[in-house]
Amino acid sequence: MDFKESKFMYLIAFIVIAFVIGQSLFFLIRAYNHGKKIGLSAKKMKDAITASALFTIAPAVSILATVVVLASSLGTVLPWIRLTVVGNLQYEVTAAQNAMEAFAGSGKAVAFGQDITDPTVFSAVAWVMTLGVILSLVLCPLLLKKIQKKVGKVKLDSGSDNKFGDIITAATFIGLISAFVGTSLAGKASTIEENGVKQATGMGAGVMSLAVLLTSIILVVILQTLCKKFKWDKFEPFVMPISMFAGMGMAMLVYAVLPESISMLEWRPAV
Amino acid sequence: MKKESQFTPFVEKTHFWGSIFSVLAIIVLVSVPVSIMFYLNVRPEISDVLKGFWGVALIFWPTALIEICFYTPMMGAGATYLSFVSGNIANLKLPCALNAKNIVKPKKGTDEEEVVNTIAVATSAIVCTVVIAAGVLLLSPILPKITAEGSVFGPAFNQVIPALFGALLGGYLVQYWKLSILPIAAATLIVILAPTIGTGALIPICVILSIVGALLMYNNGLLTGGVKPENPLKGLVKKDK
Repeated sequence: MDFKESKFMYLIAFIVIAFVIGQSLFFLIRAYNHGKKIGLSAKKMKDAITASALFTIAPAVSILATVVVLASSLGTVLPWIRLTVVGNLQYEVTAAQNAMEAFAGSGKAVAFGQDITDPTVFSAVAWVMTLGVILSLVLCPLLLKKIQKKVGKVKLDSGSDNKFGDIITAATFIGLISAFVGTSLAGKASTIEENGVKQATGMGAGVMSLAVLLTSIILVVILQTLCKKFKWDKFEPFVMPISMFAGMGMAMLVYAVLPESISMLEWRPAV
Repeated sequence: MKKESQFTPFVEKTHFWGSIFSVLAIIVLVSVPVSIMFYLNVRPEISDVLKGFWGVALIFWPTALIEICFYTPMMGAGATYLSFVSGNIANLKLPCALNAKNIVKPKKGTDEEEVVNTIAVATSAIVCTVVIAAGVLLLSPILPKITAEGSVFGPAFNQVIPALFGALLGGYLVQYWKLSILPIAAATLIVILAPTIGTGALIPICVILSIVGALLMYNNGLLTGGVKPENPLKGLVKKDK
């Protein structure tokens, strides 16, 4: 049996999953109970739960796709563990690639995409992927409270002007969203070396990303306006997830209807 | 005499539990390569591990520091602790928290906001973990066919980011379209000029530009119907003196 898919590896994965779910449940129940205590209605909190669950499905499936990308070299279980705790889409591929490149010229060299058969290389890759993400967990208990104290002070000092506070909060979120919107409008796909050949990971900005972006934006604007006008309160939690899925559906439609030379056109192809 | 806390008792306790869980998460995280090493009975060369590690740390350690500074004010204590354990913050946990806040509309800077953020991120972490686990256990033989470029669903899974952030932007455009012009134009221009810039580096630049732009617009009356309000930062500077 492949050591990367052994029962022991699955056991580690289940322990990690139990920890992440256990912690999340602890915080969820604690927050829900406190919400009830401070007068937040059960309906509002359930709306937040429903909307968050729906909003998570599509990104979770694309994270799952990253497990598949990494599985060609690392098996399924290690990427599964790494993407369950601390990991993220962009990081894991880069970390695995860097770790494998470290063995270049050692006689155990393996290129991204090739199956790792040497347990020592596999163990080294697991160490690199772990150590690379550990800093944020170390910094959280050290810095988080201090940062919140500083932010709280600014909020208290400027608390007299609520409109200004709302504008700055909105500007902060819009700034964050803009980074991804800018990438969807003009970004170039990143590349990895697979079996010694440079390959693009995902797609850069082009006809497809523009069509998807515009569909999601327009649909949210229309649905939110309708919700406000006709007071569709129950429908509101579904507006963003529906628009997101509609955007993804538009990608499938564009691909099916337009010739590939147009639908897959990227402004700046990576390879 | 006991020093009075700036936080509510709920947030104060959240910091306590968050710190405990962060330490536990470090133990769980490190135990993965340690167990693999003992199970396979191998000892990789420290120099090999370090060689790979520096390449990763140079990119991701500064980003980790920036992320904590930027995400904490946006998500509050509980959601930030949870997010840094379960990962995928910018592309999943933060959008979820924003979406939940848009629906519940809690009062800013209160326990209400803390509760909504935590509920959103905890739910997202649970659903994401379950989807990945179910996918690996049940779908791994067919998943490559679903997400492969040639499949019917392939294009959809290549476009999760524009679909997700388009939906979020739409929500803000209804109310704050003027605030959106500068950061989107700036982000697009930066990406055109520096195509390899990662979102980790792009996010803080866009957030700072967006806040500065909002402040200038506010001070010039562009967001208050032409009426020029008093500079809100003027008071802060005087107070500090």
